[in-house]
Amino acid sequence: MTLDLFTQLLVNGLATGMVYVLIASGLILVLGVARIFNFAHGEFYMLGAYTTFGLCQVLKVNFFISIISATLVVALFAAICYRLVFHHIRGNLLLCAAASMGLSMMFERGALIGFGTQERGLPSAFFGVMTIGNVAMPVEKMAVILLCVAIMLGLYYLLMKTKLGKAMRAVKLDTEVAALQGINTMRVYALAMAVGCSLAGLAGGIIAPLFSITPGMGHAMLLKCFMVLIVGGLESMLGGVVGGLVIGMTLSFGYYFLGGLSEILLFGIIGVILVFKPGGLFGEMVEDV
Amino acid sequence: MEKWLRMYSTKLRTKGVTLFIILGIIILLLPLLLKSPYQMHLIIMLCINIVLGMSFAMLFSTGLITIGAAAFWAIGAYASAVLVMNLNLSFWLALPLASIITGMIAFMLGSIIVRAPGVAFVVQTMVINMIVVQALGQMEFLGGWGGILDIPRPNPIVSIKFVSKTHYYYLILFLLLLTVVVFYALYSSRIGRAWRSIRLNPRLAQTLGINLFRYRLLAFIIASMSAGLVGSFYAHYFGTIEPNTFSVFKSIYIQIYGILGGLNFYLMGPTIGSLMMTLVPEFLRVGKEIEPILTGGILILLVIFLPGGILSLPERMGSLATAFLSRIKRKESLH
Repeated sequence: MTLDLFTQLLVNGLATGMVYVLIASGLILVLGVARIFNFAHGEFYMLGAYTTFGLCQVLKVNFFISIISATLVVALFAAICYRLVFHHIRGNLLLCAAASMGLSMMFERGALIGFGTQERGLPSAFFGVMTIGNVAMPVEKMAVILLCVAIMLGLYYLLMKTKLGKAMRAVKLDTEVAALQGINTMRVYALAMAVGCSLAGLAGGIIAPLFSITPGMGHAMLLKCFMVLIVGGLESMLGGVVGGLVIGMTLSFGYYFLGGLSEILLFGIIGVILVFKPGGLFGEMVEDV
Repeated sequence: MEKWLRMYSTKLRTKGVTLFIILGIIILLLPLLLKSPYQMHLIIMLCINIVLGMSFAMLFSTGLITIGAAAFWAIGAYASAVLVMNLNLSFWLALPLASIITGMIAFMLGSIIVRAPGVAFVVQTMVINMIVVQALGQMEFLGGWGGILDIPRPNPIVSIKFVSKTHYYYLILFLLLLTVVVFYALYSSRIGRAWRSIRLNPRLAQTLGINLFRYRLLAFIIASMSAGLVGSFYAHYFGTIEPNTFSVFKSIYIQIYGILGGLNFYLMGPTIGSLMMTLVPEFLRVGKEIEPILTGGILILLVIFLPGGILSLPERMGSLATAFLSRIKRKESLH
């Protein structure tokens, strides 16, 4: 295997892996803070992609501005969903999961009726090939990786350094004690939902030039993200990052060496991890339903 | 007062028995009432859905939420089809064998995943469902993504030849009844009480000497076996099976049957839930296009306003009525 090929596969794996990381960390944030297992998360991702497409292609807005506005639109949408649906059943994991499944079904079919089944694509904002030494790398993939890393660093800053992040961590540890300290838990729930879902929307916008945009894309992505959660565990962001990179790399290298069997390889890896660490690599077993 | 109450309760009980008998006769004579084959098909699929919903409810009775019921349905269907078509076994042998094979696979998978309850279990069962669908699609000798075609009908017994839907109806009715009887026996036995105590408080149950892992594994195996049983029936009833029938979506629908009817009613809940989910879209005559929107909307409304399911309606009406009455009384005492 040449260095060139290895770098190509590595960049490919990193690019898809970082997108998984973005979406999965949003899922983990919503689950940890707002206690919602969000089956509609993939639909927010789809919504982000479609909003970016609409702004960029139909209204001819700059690509970056349309990504940012798509993120804001998705965040607003998620907050509205939280207020209308999840606010009434907060704290009950099963009911929240069921309600999010209902939302997911409605959104997916709504998108199918509204946007049609045809695949759409965006022209890339970055062109060309970057050459470092004698290794060629597509600029587009590198840009995706850098953007995702920057967003993850921003998320880290939000969670660790700001007051809102502190409130979110407190609510995740113990809701009642956090409320006793004067934290408005209702607002933190809604904000966590908005931030988590906007991460998915952001990922949708970033991925829009790379993949085709279809109403079913959210569902497929959500299933990949569940695998990320199994590998990494449901509790920590670190688990999401490691899980996302593991899945991305396995798929990238697996497709080259094994072809269609790479999915089976992925399932094998997941099975081995489940046997030895039932809660995922960075998770603990929790006894709550 | 007490005498009146006792009289009232016996009256109610006889009323219940009469209702039960009438309902039983209607169910037995349903093929005479329904003329079109399409309606019979709906009823047969309804019975399959009820059994699948019950298997979901059985796992829920131990505090586990599964989104993988369709995977075991698929395993049962494929196992039965392979047994009959490749090994030339009789359907009547393949039916219990498929169930047992499903149970064995559930034992192997269950001993890995049952250890992590809660959300982890939800995700793991979901991924197992995806793996099963993917694996069935990849395997060429199982027909790949096209599935298995021309699965033979059940072999005739005595003079019943399984040509019309009526014969299939009585067979699935028998399987449904079998499932109900076995599940009811389990729920009212020591095992069922252990399951319920695990659901109420796992830690407390453990201190009482209940082995959480073993009891949950048992529930997982039995639930999967019942799913495998109707899977075998489905394969020979429908004639063709393909991997995409058994996708995660089906599992989510199965879960909705349970939630819709009421999760505290392990047998009646899935029955009412699948009855609603199968027949309401049919009566409303909405297009297949917007059916998911309607289903999703109903689910969300139900979860918000009636979290206990449809069967909790009388209870909830009762509590609402009491609240209303006490409010009136308070107003009266103020005047």
